[in-house]
Amino acid sequence: MPAQSPVGPIALWRSRSGRAAAFADRCPHRGMRLSHGFVRGEALSCIYHGWSYAQAGNCLRIPAHPGLAPPETIRVATHTVEDSGGLIWISVGQAAAPPPRLDGVTPLRSMMVEADVAALEAAAGAQAEGGVLDHTHDGRALRLLLAPEGEARTLMHVLVGEDANPTERIAASRAAETLRRAAESIRRGRAVQ
Amino acid sequence: MSRNAMIDEWYPVGLASQLDAQGRKTTLMGEPIEVRLGDDGNAMVTGGNGRALPVCVRYGHVWSSPGEPHRALFAIPEADQPGRRLVDVGVVRVRCSPLRAVENFLDIAHFPFVHTDILGAEPHTEVQNYKVEIREDEDEVWATQVKFYQPQAARSAEGGITTEYMYRVPAPTCSILYKTCPPRPGEWDVITLFVQPLAEDLCDVWPWMALFDDETPMTDLIHFQQTIFVQDRSILENQIPGLLPLDPGMEIPTRADLTSVAYRRWLKRHGYTYGAQLVAQ
Amino acid sequence: MKLYDYVLSPSCYKARLMAALAGVKLDIRPVDFHPGAEHRGPELMALNPAGSIPILEDGDLVLTESSAMLVYLAAKAAPQWLGNDTAGEAARVQQWLSFSHRLTASLGAARLHEMLLRPGNIDVFQGQGTTALRELEAGLVEQHIRGQRFLASDRPSVADIACFPYVALAPDGGVSLDPYPLIRLWSRAIRGLDGFIEMPGIHRLHELSPEPVPGEA
Repeated sequence: MPAQSPVGPIALWRSRSGRAAAFADRCPHRGMRLSHGFVRGEALSCIYHGWSYAQAGNCLRIPAHPGLAPPETIRVATHTVEDSGGLIWISVGQAAAPPPRLDGVTPLRSMMVEADVAALEAAAGAQAEGGVLDHTHDGRALRLLLAPEGEARTLMHVLVGEDANPTERIAASRAAETLRRAAESIRRGRAVQ
Repeated sequence: MSRNAMIDEWYPVGLASQLDAQGRKTTLMGEPIEVRLGDDGNAMVTGGNGRALPVCVRYGHVWSSPGEPHRALFAIPEADQPGRRLVDVGVVRVRCSPLRAVENFLDIAHFPFVHTDILGAEPHTEVQNYKVEIREDEDEVWATQVKFYQPQAARSAEGGITTEYMYRVPAPTCSILYKTCPPRPGEWDVITLFVQPLAEDLCDVWPWMALFDDETPMTDLIHFQQTIFVQDRSILENQIPGLLPLDPGMEIPTRADLTSVAYRRWLKRHGYTYGAQLVAQ
Repeated sequence: MKLYDYVLSPSCYKARLMAALAGVKLDIRPVDFHPGAEHRGPELMALNPAGSIPILEDGDLVLTESSAMLVYLAAKAAPQWLGNDTAGEAARVQQWLSFSHRLTASLGAARLHEMLLRPGNIDVFQGQGTTALRELEAGLVEQHIRGQRFLASDRPSVADIACFPYVALAPDGGVSLDPYPLIRLWSRAIRGLDGFIEMPGIHRLHELSPEPVPGEA
């Protein structure tokens, strides 16, 4: 699937055996986005010409030349991936520390918000610390992990208490929608001024 | 921007069959233009400031140029052969460089993945060696002896066959494909891609065909070609960078890509850079 | 059963896809919608004065609404696709069948504008399309929490087929699907169904085919 990183778009994928990997979202052959590709076994293939890549980023196969062993020089840039607590974390370069532990909460959904972190803070009436915003709505606690994408968009990962039942989780998802509407309304209000 | 050599080329700007007095507003290399049927019954093309642009009507389309073409529109002798059916496929807009659209048309290695079970299918993915040349007399790029396995080569083809193709690039945004003609061995079907550059990253594509096929209903022929092109469209809108890189380093060609390599070299040599990126970024 | 069909029309594709999934063979009558505008010609206007396609004809039954075609095909050949086991499921099917018209009017109009140069306000089409996609994503999130993979229950219904094509083709109209992870999962689940057929712009799941063995080409 497509995702964003501080160094540009990435293709995030999971192999058949369950290992996650993050590639630069561009096939070095003709520049096609690899997030449109397909996974067979432990390899990701580009949808355009079927060039396939191992998790380490090296090219395994060029279907137009089945007899050719692709040279080592054909490779996709990769990022370090940590699969922890139901969240996929990537680090650009060497990670300084492992991803933060998120005890007692579990991921519910990810949403794109057409607003910056400040607008989300204003809508939630709380300050984010280290990209984490705690929001209480109708007595329910939501923990929001915020990943800004440029000036005006924020990818918001919504986490809820591990013990939340389905009814509570649905309510939490709706509360997150309400928060997004409020933040986008604040952002639009600012844009008009 | 310096004057681009592509200014003086011919471009398709509408279907001749849909020409009317009311006119069609469109864009050619950033300039708003209007294409209509004049009082004298001839096609007229007017530029942004009201100036009359060069015009000719050929191969089902109205052609024009924002500059001063040094030569007549390229010839397709086969188009005048008796017995061919001429197919107006209609326009499809694509948010991509006009040069990327042509380059994709010259490519066969994507058939098994993008036109699966129609123009290609795994495991028949191998591209055998073929011949590529820049013909100096005509100043055109040609690829010949291109062979590829096709599960359904055309509307009139049943079952898989090895199809032979020839590709020809007579103008920076136009390509002609000659393809084995199942009902008439020894002749070639003609399938063209005429691209109207609206901007460097936006184009209107006008496929057109001249086929030996008396059986297939016209609508089926149109739908077959529209299917193929719209399958390509989602690829073309997702290539990075959007502009075609003419300098090596940005992309990795293989033997299967020799037509593309020659096309890029020919574009660069002529300064045909509208829709291209020169320095690898 | 005869379908007046255009290969690039997502609404026509709904009928083709449902027929394929239900195992019904359709007699396809191609209509030169673009560039010929045959759907506005006398023969088709006589059949459907609204001047739209698809049209499904079976004896003296003539259907011009794609949702009705899905229900007809399912009722005839695959009644489990009607999704009416419980009151909630039946209501959800109707909810999303009605909702699907908003997808046509927004994402569908954006696609016709961006691809086939039809007139209209593209910003409005894309904005309304984004609103609809967010509602669909939220609905799928709630279904996911309930342990159900499809719009009305844990198995696919006519409601999924009514919504799938215009959603999957949203990028054709300049509306990205990148922000909707549940829509992507749902789309993959539909593309993975037995009997699934593709249309131009919706690629099949190549992961379902085996990797070719070297030397067997």
